[in-house]
Amino acid sequence: MNSPPEGGHYVRAVPGAAYLLAILIVVFAIFGSGFATVANVLNIGVQSSVLLLLALPMTLIIMSEGLDLSMSAVLSLAGVVLAWMLMNEHGLPAALAAAVGVGLAFGVANGILVVALGLPPFVATLGTLGVAQGLALVLTGGQSVVGIGDVLPAVYDSRPLGLPFSIWIALAAFLVFRFTLSKTRFGAYVSAIGGNREALVLAGVRANLHHLAVYALGGAMAGLAALLLTGRMSAGHPTAAIGMEFDAVAAVIVGGTSFERGKGRLGGTLIGVLTIGVVKNGLNVLAISSSLQVASIGVLVIVALVIDSMLQAVGARRRGRTLPA
Amino acid sequence: MRGISKRFPGVRALDDVSLDANAGEVHFLLGQNGAGKSTLMRILCGAHHPDAGEILLNGAPVRLTSPADARHLGVAVIFQEFSLVPYLDLAQNIFLGREPRGVLPGTIDHRRMHAEARRLLDTLGVDLDTRTPAHELGVAHQQVVEIAKALSQNARILVMDEPTAALSDHEIDRLFARIRALRADGVAIIYISHRLQEIAAIGDRVTVLRDGRNVASFANAGNFANPENLANLVRLMVGRQVETTYRQKFCEQPGEIVLDVRDVDADNGVHGASLTVRAGEVVGLAGLVGAGRSELARAIFGADRVVSGTVSMNGTPLGRGPVSAVRAGVGLVPESRKTEGLALNRSVADNVLVAGMRKVFPSGWYCARAAAHVASDIVSRLKIATPSVGRLTRFLSGGNQQKVVIGKWFAAGSRFFIFDEPTRGIDVGAKAEIYGVIDTLVAGGAAVLMISSELPEMVAVCDRAYVMRDKRIVGDLGRADLSEANILRLAMHHE
Repeated sequence: MNSPPEGGHYVRAVPGAAYLLAILIVVFAIFGSGFATVANVLNIGVQSSVLLLLALPMTLIIMSEGLDLSMSAVLSLAGVVLAWMLMNEHGLPAALAAAVGVGLAFGVANGILVVALGLPPFVATLGTLGVAQGLALVLTGGQSVVGIGDVLPAVYDSRPLGLPFSIWIALAAFLVFRFTLSKTRFGAYVSAIGGNREALVLAGVRANLHHLAVYALGGAMAGLAALLLTGRMSAGHPTAAIGMEFDAVAAVIVGGTSFERGKGRLGGTLIGVLTIGVVKNGLNVLAISSSLQVASIGVLVIVALVIDSMLQAVGARRRGRTLPA
Repeated sequence: MRGISKRFPGVRALDDVSLDANAGEVHFLLGQNGAGKSTLMRILCGAHHPDAGEILLNGAPVRLTSPADARHLGVAVIFQEFSLVPYLDLAQNIFLGREPRGVLPGTIDHRRMHAEARRLLDTLGVDLDTRTPAHELGVAHQQVVEIAKALSQNARILVMDEPTAALSDHEIDRLFARIRALRADGVAIIYISHRLQEIAAIGDRVTVLRDGRNVASFANAGNFANPENLANLVRLMVGRQVETTYRQKFCEQPGEIVLDVRDVDADNGVHGASLTVRAGEVVGLAGLVGAGRSELARAIFGADRVVSGTVSMNGTPLGRGPVSAVRAGVGLVPESRKTEGLALNRSVADNVLVAGMRKVFPSGWYCARAAAHVASDIVSRLKIATPSVGRLTRFLSGGNQQKVVIGKWFAAGSRFFIFDEPTRGIDVGAKAEIYGVIDTLVAGGAAVLMISSELPEMVAVCDRAYVMRDKRIVGDLGRADLSEANILRLAMHHE
């Protein structure tokens, strides 16, 4: 049997979202003047980069048959901490370390609740969402943290090689996650935790440790995302990221990752994130109210899933039997 | 392994069992379903811990606290239930937990992993792409991957739990060639199989377990090429003749055909099944675990889709789905009573009435007094021991819970009952009561189809029995021929 080149092995089904994204781009390009400009395309990239930083670890968490609702609240809290550190002139590296540290702490807490205490991920992370959101509000008294100096805004506005800083970060994160999932043991174990945890335990792998690490990674990435979010707003706002967990889960699902059996793909998540970015941006360009945007993302998730399940039904019929559930 | 004992809540799974395996031999472990083979092997691989007894390796006692321990000591197991990860590819599955390391820390050397996986699959004579994700494989290929996974561990002790169950003859030949090669290399192999003809083909020694105890060992497996010796072996697995019968009297004059199943193929794999059950009869559905008994029951009940053939009740074909089965008077007492049969946190009355709401309240209005009345009536008819009909079912004993499940179908007015392992996990006294209930049902003209893995129960309770193997009905035993040995003979592959 001849093996195809590394990485591009067996034909992977294209997620339904890819078709959707293509159609949306064509529609918006035709009807929205100013949509298909270089400036606007970069704008979509910048707007999508924070979401991608959340959606990447969310993909791994969902692959492990889990969920992290706390990510956006942890992002808000980390953003507030980051801004506060900058305001008190601790310098950007220390501020970033503090933000990632806060995120990591919440991620580890989520991991302990889910893995060690066996709480359902939905419940555990709903709890930590409340805690993180509450802390962000208490620390700031509900006010924005302003006066963060000019180091972060300068970094954020920089354009190495002509591409905005946040796009570089998002791109780097995507490549690191892809490498991790396909080339490392940890990546293989994430799929195994969701697909057949018993098999992993019987293989003598410390499944609990890897399972916890998935959640810890989610928290840390929320801390990293705070860098971009705070940079964009030049301030730390305690409710800046509210609702973003919905977009992150939506992007992952639209991208074809399943809540069951450890099935997931990061390429799909990237497409999902871009699809959501394009919808939001396109509706803005068409001057459609932002309230309708939330509804449109809901519709998007459903349409993408319907397309996916139709594609799957076709694939299953062609293949015959699959593993018992 | 010496003097191993293991108790699970309510059962003594292993009682002072010993088993040894020498380097360079294939040791067959035989026994009926529930004899304790799988438990013993799970102890050997560190997944269960024995209550008593010790495990010695090369003469020195070892403690196995986890599967990782067992693996480090050179024990590899091919499990009966597949332990594959659906969205990892074959090579990743084969080397799960033992991936060849890449240059960077934490990374996998994919090139080497796939090359080694390729080599392993080649020795098994299987032409599969090592990059295929496991979920795309059929059952036989999954089995092959399991075998490759165990072989890749270079184990000194290799346990194979029914490795050939899903394989074709060609694949079995290749597997046996591998087993002979491993034996020549000095690997100790413990081999569990229900295909008795395999003993003579590759076995060296044989140990028989029954009811969690050692009952016999034979040094020369070659003798089992002789069918007479094989028949003796089956008798040993079955054990003592059962003197007690549980039924007061068996059905002499069965009534009209109640259930008529004709040439049913279902999408769960059941193939070409035909059977009839008459009023007043208890008909058994026997076979080994995985033979397709529960699948056939689900197809009859409409829980799994019937692809071709017909299922008729009292001469009328059933429509699709459980709703039409229930309306036609079919009641299913499922295998896992706590998850499929009961709402544990609801009262006895709620549980008993859940299937019969349409019958008891045809208008759609719920009346608590009428509900309590109907529930009390059923509780007294079935002699369910509960302080009141308001008691939550999770506080009842296993036997009484089972009666509540049966009572549910009383309220629904069922005339045909499917019992799937009705006495699993309940004590002897409660068993007798369940048999009493079955007796009363058929005496009242109802018909019963009973699935059981306990052969003595099958023989003692049923008027007739069908035997299944590989998702097909392979035999039909009348009362006169109904014996444990005859059931086993049909249920296993050894003709």
